[in-house]
Amino acid sequence: MNTTAKLTSSSIKMFVRNRQAVFFTLFVPIVIMTIFGLLGFDNVPKIDVGVVQEPANQHVFSDQLKQISALDVHFGTEDDERARLADGDRAAVLLIPAAVDQRQLTPLSPATITVLKNVGKPQEAGTVVSLVRQMLDQATLAAAQAPTLFQLDVQEVNARNLKYIDFLLPGIVALAIMQMAVFSVAFVFVDYKEKGILKRLLATPMKPFQFVSANVITRLLVAVVQAAILIVVGVLVFKAHVIGSYWLLLPSVILGGVMFLGLGFTISGLAKTVEAVPAIANLVVFPMLFLGGTFFPLDIMPTWLQSIVQYLPLTYLSDALRSVMTESASFTAISHDLFWMLGWSAVLVFLANLTFGFEEKRV
Amino acid sequence: MLRRLLIALVTADIITVDRLTKRYGDLTAVDGISFSVRQGETFGILGPNGAGKTTTLEMIEGLKGITSGTAVLGGHDVAQQARTVKSLIGVQLQASSFFDGLNLKELIETFAALYGRTVDAMQLLRQVQLEEKWKSQVKELSGGQKQRLSIAVALVNDPKVLFLDEPTTGLDPQARRNLWDLISGIKRQGKTIILTTHYMEEAEVLCDRVAIMDHAKIVALDTPLGLIRQADVGSTVEFHVDRQPDLDALKQLPGVEQAVSENHAIRIITKQPEQTLPALFEFKAKAGLAVTNVQMHQATLEDVFLKLTGHLLRE
Repeated sequence: MNTTAKLTSSSIKMFVRNRQAVFFTLFVPIVIMTIFGLLGFDNVPKIDVGVVQEPANQHVFSDQLKQISALDVHFGTEDDERARLADGDRAAVLLIPAAVDQRQLTPLSPATITVLKNVGKPQEAGTVVSLVRQMLDQATLAAAQAPTLFQLDVQEVNARNLKYIDFLLPGIVALAIMQMAVFSVAFVFVDYKEKGILKRLLATPMKPFQFVSANVITRLLVAVVQAAILIVVGVLVFKAHVIGSYWLLLPSVILGGVMFLGLGFTISGLAKTVEAVPAIANLVVFPMLFLGGTFFPLDIMPTWLQSIVQYLPLTYLSDALRSVMTESASFTAISHDLFWMLGWSAVLVFLANLTFGFEEKRV
Repeated sequence: MLRRLLIALVTADIITVDRLTKRYGDLTAVDGISFSVRQGETFGILGPNGAGKTTTLEMIEGLKGITSGTAVLGGHDVAQQARTVKSLIGVQLQASSFFDGLNLKELIETFAALYGRTVDAMQLLRQVQLEEKWKSQVKELSGGQKQRLSIAVALVNDPKVLFLDEPTTGLDPQARRNLWDLISGIKRQGKTIILTTHYMEEAEVLCDRVAIMDHAKIVALDTPLGLIRQADVGSTVEFHVDRQPDLDALKQLPGVEQAVSENHAIRIITKQPEQTLPALFEFKAKAGLAVTNVQMHQATLEDVFLKLTGHLLRE
């Protein structure tokens, strides 16, 4: 039987039977997806408004206020509401005299609504003020029976609703491929080196390249299966939308895999003991986890930071996956990302050759 | 024709090592050693830790670079044709381990694939008495079982020469004897075996010829019996003392060739025990020494080693 083929089938068995590897390959990304999916960044929080009003037969004003979907209206006594405002639970508190609702108004004695603004929430309080002002202006115009001169026609256009989970899913897939490739190689190969397994392999006529190939092929297959499972879970469980071609994800997954396997072998060469692996690996992987476009877009970062993080290997992988999944980007559209991943692969494989060997290398 | 065949049989050296040297910077790990191993022979390299045994083996196996000198195995120069040599030999490394995640049968089949072969893994496991364990993983095996497995793995390519590096180090006496039986069985099948050990008894039981190695050099090479004769050690006197006596004074006693102490046990090598013993008791009386457990026995390889190197093997 062909040596590399047999080694690959053994290597797949070892990977699948390694519970730790499976845990980090699938379970951890799904947990991260669940946590960030549940956080629900899509819902803009409502503005808390306190309303203090005098007893009356009807509450015309506050009834209208309750119709506004952006507001969460709370009723209470003045003391209570002032206390809540002081605690920061209210963006603003409205003091409404009974006169407002009873409409016993003449131009000479306007009723006064007092707005207590939370200075800690200037934007929300400002929204409340302008909403109240708008309501009062309308009431005034209606009372004066003024003719309508202008009309505002607001039309809703149903744009493609990009939810946070749609943004997150490609990022999670990219992150999962990185973690799997880096850690499964680094831990396993340093362990092989420590236990003398690599040396034992060198005592056979096998070429080291055959053993490395078997392990690389195994992990590229894992990357593809892993991406497929995560996307299926994302779509079925978290209702993510994938509009691009699934086949177009393949080159990104493979190139991303090669790139991060190169990083994994580089780290295997640098770490002398299994204990040193997480320290060295996290030094490289951890910053990318937050800056590589997994959880939030690069746009929200300061410009100087963007100009650095756009070159991270993970950024290219998440960007390529995201372009295909959320924008149905063509091969040409992602070729820029693919090109850069190819470049990173070359650099990292070169570094791996420099540091990693079956025998101890003195770097 | 017959003559040539006879000559070939008589001179069938499967391994020839000539002035083999390994240096690491200023340190010389193996210092110009020469020996040859005959076809079908069990050849032992005996010596304390750090003597250069493992380095010697690993140079012949093609695992370590050779600084100078040559090693030829089955007509192939190791330095030139390492891959060919590796395909002809089976290797058990000192304290080596194997993959987790494969059972023993899968592990043996995987290693066979490294030689481009397929093997009857169960038959090999039967040979090392691990047949029933075929579903286990390496981490579930005891020390002795691991060593037996690594011998089975070393046999996957039906090697011409089997290299065993300290096969019984760290095993309990029971497991050690078990392994000796296994190695003797392989030897009876006609395999050439080259092993290192720091157990005298192991070399005496298993080896046809033994090279004694100390400080990177071979200090003697012969059959176990030949070594004992050649060293002309005489007898050994061993006894326990209550306190450390003056070793130099002991060495001055008539007939004494070597004297060493280990904890409170003294070992004296003498060619004339009949003169040494009375002198020893005189010495004891003068020094006011309490002497117990006096024993006298024929020399072993241990004593040969002591005489040749001036120190004990166990150090």
